[in-house]
Amino acid sequence: MLELVKIGRRYPGVVALDGVDFALAPGEVVGLIGENGAGKSTLMKILGGIIPPSEGTIRLDGVAHAALDVTQATRAGIAFVHQELEVFDNLDVAANVFIGREPCGFGPLRLVRTRELERRVQPLLERLGADFGPRTPVAELSIAQRQMVEIAKALSIDARVIIMDEPTSSLTLAETDRLLRIIAELKASGVAVIYISHRLAEVKQCADRVVCLRDGRVAGELARAAIDHAAMIRLMIGRDLRSLYIPPRVPPHAEGCVIRNLVPAAMPEAEVSLTIRKGEIMGLAGLVGAGRTSLARALFGVDPPRGGTIALHGTPVHIRSPREAIAHGLYLVPEDRKREGLVLDLPLTQNVTLPNLRAFARRLLVDPHAEAACFARERARLGIRAADGSVPAVTLSGGNQQKVVLAKWLSMQPRMIIFDEPTRGIDVGAKEEIYRLMRDLADAGVTILMISSDMEEVLGVSDRIAVMHAGRITGVLERPDFSELNVLRLAIGAAAEVA
Amino acid sequence: MAKKELGLLGLLLAVGAITGVLNPRFLSAVNLLDMANLIGLFGIFSIGEGIVIITGGIDLSVGSMFAFLGVIFIDLLTNHSVPWPAAILLTVGAGIVLGVLQGVLVTRAKLQPFVVTLCGLLIYRGAARYYTEDATMGFGYGDDYDWVGWLASGRSWGIPHSFILLVVVALAMWVVLHRSVFGRYLFAIGKNEEAARFAGIRTNAVVAGAYVISGGLAGLATVLLVFYTNSVSPSSFGNFYELYAIAAAVLGGCSLRGGEGSILGIVLGTALLQVLQNLVNILGIPSSLNFAVMGTVILVGALADRVLQQRRARAVAHAGTPELRAGTAQVGETR
Amino acid sequence: MKRFAALLLAALVVASAPLASQAQGTKKSLALVTNAAADFWTIARRGVEKANKEHPEYAMEVIVTGQATAAEQRRELDNLLTRGIAGVAISAIDPKNSTEILNKVAGKAVLFTTDSDAPQSNRVAYIGTDNVAAGRQAGEQIKKALPNGGKVMLFVGTMDADNARERVQGIKEALNGSNITILDIRTDGVDFAKAKANVQDALARGGVDCLVGLYSYNTPQIYSAVKEAGKAGQVKIVGFDEDPQTLRGVADGTILSTVVQQPFEFGYQSMIDMIKYMNGDKSFIPANKLIIIPTRVIDKSNVAAFQQSMKELLKK
Repeated sequence: MLELVKIGRRYPGVVALDGVDFALAPGEVVGLIGENGAGKSTLMKILGGIIPPSEGTIRLDGVAHAALDVTQATRAGIAFVHQELEVFDNLDVAANVFIGREPCGFGPLRLVRTRELERRVQPLLERLGADFGPRTPVAELSIAQRQMVEIAKALSIDARVIIMDEPTSSLTLAETDRLLRIIAELKASGVAVIYISHRLAEVKQCADRVVCLRDGRVAGELARAAIDHAAMIRLMIGRDLRSLYIPPRVPPHAEGCVIRNLVPAAMPEAEVSLTIRKGEIMGLAGLVGAGRTSLARALFGVDPPRGGTIALHGTPVHIRSPREAIAHGLYLVPEDRKREGLVLDLPLTQNVTLPNLRAFARRLLVDPHAEAACFARERARLGIRAADGSVPAVTLSGGNQQKVVLAKWLSMQPRMIIFDEPTRGIDVGAKEEIYRLMRDLADAGVTILMISSDMEEVLGVSDRIAVMHAGRITGVLERPDFSELNVLRLAIGAAAEVA
Repeated sequence: MAKKELGLLGLLLAVGAITGVLNPRFLSAVNLLDMANLIGLFGIFSIGEGIVIITGGIDLSVGSMFAFLGVIFIDLLTNHSVPWPAAILLTVGAGIVLGVLQGVLVTRAKLQPFVVTLCGLLIYRGAARYYTEDATMGFGYGDDYDWVGWLASGRSWGIPHSFILLVVVALAMWVVLHRSVFGRYLFAIGKNEEAARFAGIRTNAVVAGAYVISGGLAGLATVLLVFYTNSVSPSSFGNFYELYAIAAAVLGGCSLRGGEGSILGIVLGTALLQVLQNLVNILGIPSSLNFAVMGTVILVGALADRVLQQRRARAVAHAGTPELRAGTAQVGETR
Repeated sequence: MKRFAALLLAALVVASAPLASQAQGTKKSLALVTNAAADFWTIARRGVEKANKEHPEYAMEVIVTGQATAAEQRRELDNLLTRGIAGVAISAIDPKNSTEILNKVAGKAVLFTTDSDAPQSNRVAYIGTDNVAAGRQAGEQIKKALPNGGKVMLFVGTMDADNARERVQGIKEALNGSNITILDIRTDGVDFAKAKANVQDALARGGVDCLVGLYSYNTPQIYSAVKEAGKAGQVKIVGFDEDPQTLRGVADGTILSTVVQQPFEFGYQSMIDMIKYMNGDKSFIPANKLIIIPTRVIDKSNVAAFQQSMKELLKK
């Protein structure tokens, strides 16, 4: 049905794609994997007609094209479900599904025929098993539901190929399951799906075939039977990945952070009690909406807690703002790196010194030399790959950006660091480095709370795992009891099976 | 000096050179000093405006503040016999108070800066007109204020005092904006207020501080403007001056989205605006074309800047470092 | 606080107005409605007061249109009609669009216009300045300033206002045939600072012998710019209106002369003429219904006396 032959794409000075062959049959689910920058998104953009290839041929239903444009791609039934969802949250579901293709009436007035619109959207939603109607404002929908809107949009143009770019990065486990079921249904009705993901477990679950890109070339393909974790990682990084878990060198000892009956302002029905030891990595698992991020925001003072107590390294602390949290040595590596973690347009150096700028100033005037020295120190320690500290943070890759966020805090004296989804959107190599850093910090006596929705990461990195459900800690698992099943049971409010 | 400021300086010199060729009197000392005086008057409050714009806000109230503070200032001097140093301090202080009010409304009440300062524009103007019953306020028949008048609008060694004051203010604000912790916070907040808060910055205090600076500098400019015109007509004094300030700041490289701008740029922007107004008169272009000339040159400047930026971006793409290249490719991909 | 009390008082007065007119019984009332609050009208009020002293059998008042809007004037006129006003002299703010309400007033009372005319309405007559004539007067002064000819530059707020056009027309008529040329007319949009900058630029540009300020604030701005440039005496100045700074300039010789209107006469004449008209005397109304109060030239010879009289008239 669709075949890409020897596709190349060059940017000035960069070869993004080099002789890539890629074919797709109706009803086939292909997992597309590769580290960030391997060329996955570029390839998909060529397929969607957003950019033309520099060389190669696109064969569509037997007809060869040098390049597609967006109209051709849409007419051929190629649809995107984007990584960063492109829905209009000021419109309702039906309007989003048919945006730009509204059924119009009243001649030149081109008024939207709302009834007709709803009549056509309703069956699409039913087919996806959606629990919302066409008139629901998108602003009221969860991320998973918004994704369904995007899939409905794809179905509405009779898509034959749906490209999903990191579709589960913001979904809960249950939502991920539902998405995978939808993919199976699409497949059954003859729709082909290209599934781009870093979550190898999901790829393994749904893909008929895996294609791995590395440095703009096809690094290899795996047939259904050959798909397994180790094989995929080997293809992606060109070598075997060591186990994620790094045992602590110094066994966790004293109480690091004691949280008693904490009520986050953003979730007044929650009440959290949890003790984290000094020098351990406490994983915090749970479904989206369980209150993990609300807890992090309460601890860091973004939304000051309504009640409860926090003690840090033995002394009670009252935190009403991030400023006070930082003063106590409690830092947050936020989930949304681009919005909350970094000022993307500022140089790296200035990002690193921002929370502690007064330390680099004499009589309130900033000393650029002291700043530069600090950045150089942190760059060496964390292995930040950047030409120098004057480049804006926006030019770095996700992994390097996350290291800059860390550098902010490491240049001060951390007592506790909360990592909220620390490796989201970060490629495998950089992930490993971040885990190593977290372990080094723990060994140095820092208390670490790591919120993660990545099961592999939670099970692999944590010393203990606390699981949240509906605003409460439903259980804390010790290492011997670690299993996907136990985490899931606690996450839905059931008891874990303890060995 | 950043590329943007060099470009603006280039435009300024080009416009000046062309005008000088058309009428050499443009470059006469008298004319240059007259312009320096006006650049001083307009530059001082444009710097305040620029600082607010750097936080991602806007201050539409400065023009009306001039009328309001202007009538207070003259009233204090003429009707209440307040000694002039106290009157000046009270006027600048009143500007600071208005800045605090606006800053609090923007940061605590979370109202949009456009709304807060638009209401300021309406309220201060109305207050000034009501207070004076729409009558023009001046120093009347007396000439007791000639000394302070000289201080505010006179010249020493031929250089207008307003220009000297601008240089002092610009240097001070340059240090504040480009060298101090506060200045760094302004840029960080302008680019990403959320991340700044997560870095422990008291964003509300910093943003309010920008409005306070703008109010204080507006108070200072009021004193100079009053002595420049010697009278204040509350319904027209300072009308639309906020637009001169915004235009100067934007010409000077301040982005209305916040987080960008420089003191030097703002001063150069003010200079360009004043040169444009001057050349209309010097070249005998009809007054009615005054604003049209200004608008055309700003538009041409903005277009040229855009073209240069794109060319530079292409040049960077051709010659960037390897890490940068991979980085930019990455950004392109995730968008 | 004082202003607030005044406001409260004004509200009370308006509320009790119908009662007052009944209490006054047979006394007929006359009103002068201004177009704004300004010194100009304070002087006119003195004229009304003088007329009232001569005719105590009438109740006379001055209604100040503080907001200077046509809507406010309309409200004031409606109030006056309900109170059974006998005569109104008004400076119409928006004459072209106020014909209806003005004719309503003219139907029930004697209507005069003053200062600003409404020629389309059924007003009995207009009492005020002939701006063309005032311009001619200024033109004569310019000729006096430049006996050997020269170049003149005019400064004004906007050229779209009738009074500005008429003054310029008068100046041009007077200068016609002389060897004086009008170099340029610079406008400033009623921005004082711009007005001053315009003068400074004109001085820097050079080649101009006489500067003329057409609006009341233009002349003081010319005065201060010329003085600051150290060109007092080298460049002649002719102005309009009686701003204190202008009079100061006339007194110290920097300004040759200024052409002033006579608001005192506006107030006085409009009251006296309304009484005459009500008593059946229509002989004073010329065929064109324009009663012109001539403008005066204030120069060094009479400026001291004029300043003195201004101070007295404006005393509160």
